Amino acid sequence: MRFQDAARDARAVVYAGIQADPLVARAATLLAEATTAERLLARAAMNGERTDPDVWRRMFPTLFGEGAGEELRRHSELVLAASLEVANRGEASRSQFRGAIVEELTARLLAARATPAAPIRRERRVLFDGVRAEIHPYDVTVESGTRPEVYDCKWGARGINAEVLNQLDDAQVHAADEDVDLAVAIVVMDARRSCELRLDRSTANHANTRLVALESLDELRETKP
Amino acid sequence: MVPLSASGRYATCVNERERIIERAAASYRALADLAEAIEDEWQYVTDLVEAYEPGLLALADVGGGRPPEPEQVAAVEEAIAEIELISDPHKAIDWLSTFPHVVALALGGDVHEPVGAGGNSGGYDASEPDDDSPFRALLLGDR
Repeated sequence: MRFQDAARDARAVVYAGIQADPLVARAATLLAEATTAERLLARAAMNGERTDPDVWRRMFPTLFGEGAGEELRRHSELVLAASLEVANRGEASRSQFRGAIVEELTARLLAARATPAAPIRRERRVLFDGVRAEIHPYDVTVESGTRPEVYDCKWGARGINAEVLNQLDDAQVHAADEDVDLAVAIVVMDARRSCELRLDRSTANHANTRLVALESLDELRETKP
Repeated sequence: MVPLSASGRYATCVNERERIIERAAASYRALADLAEAIEDEWQYVTDLVEAYEPGLLALADVGGGRPPEPEQVAAVEEAIAEIELISDPHKAIDWLSTFPHVVALALGGDVHEPVGAGGNSGGYDASEPDDDSPFRALLLGDR
């Protein structure tokens, strides 16, 4: 088994431009340091109809109200500003920015435990002996020689589908055939329960695929799937 | 003493909490109706509503009889206003997942508990969420 850079087709080139936008890095940095409530604010505001910040301040009194601490209010303001910048990019661009932000956030959280022997990489494929190469690259990989990890990232639970689950499960099975303990996971910027509902209805095998939902993103810093 | 309302019933704080939750639940059902326009997602929409609506309704019992703070009511009103603006059924599906948690966060509850279950019903204190609550981090803050 080995990792390989994904082919740079036209779609990848366009998407790379989104991934390189400074707004993606800024939002991911803020969300990596955010509370779960701030992450919920980001999910809501990036997908909202209104872009007046006062609307969102009123909607989240635990972040902006009198009871919130000064540090939390200050940080929440930064999260809100970045989220509304995404929303202001327009409906067509929003989904691309949101997807890129979840990927970057995942990479940043995983980076807390990266080592020279287990670097964090982006847009990588996994090749197995005698197996046809996968079409889609993995969003984030931890390329450890002893316990490699692959992550697929989604903005919402609706992104969980049979194709994604089958690819992750197949990779885990093929790695096991080579005596490699490959950890596979799907990271979703959505409520765990919504993700579990989606998984419960899926006929694709996902018994060995870990779910990392909005409430548990910080687990990426410390634990391996 | 709680003043009597014009109808002769006690105008209790519970009524204010129930009123806002009833409005939230009605808007949530309307959002689900919009989301059902995506035929391929009908089952998921149904699953979301069945999963979250009971917990949303149970938020009427959060707080142990204490009146909701004005900022809590305003927060839920804003959340309702937000989903009532949605016309795209795809976005409606996203908000079927998000809205209950926004309302729960505002009211200090947890939409994961079914109606009548222990957890957050009656006397629930948002400052001391159940250890088993999946949204404990959300309620307490994890900064």
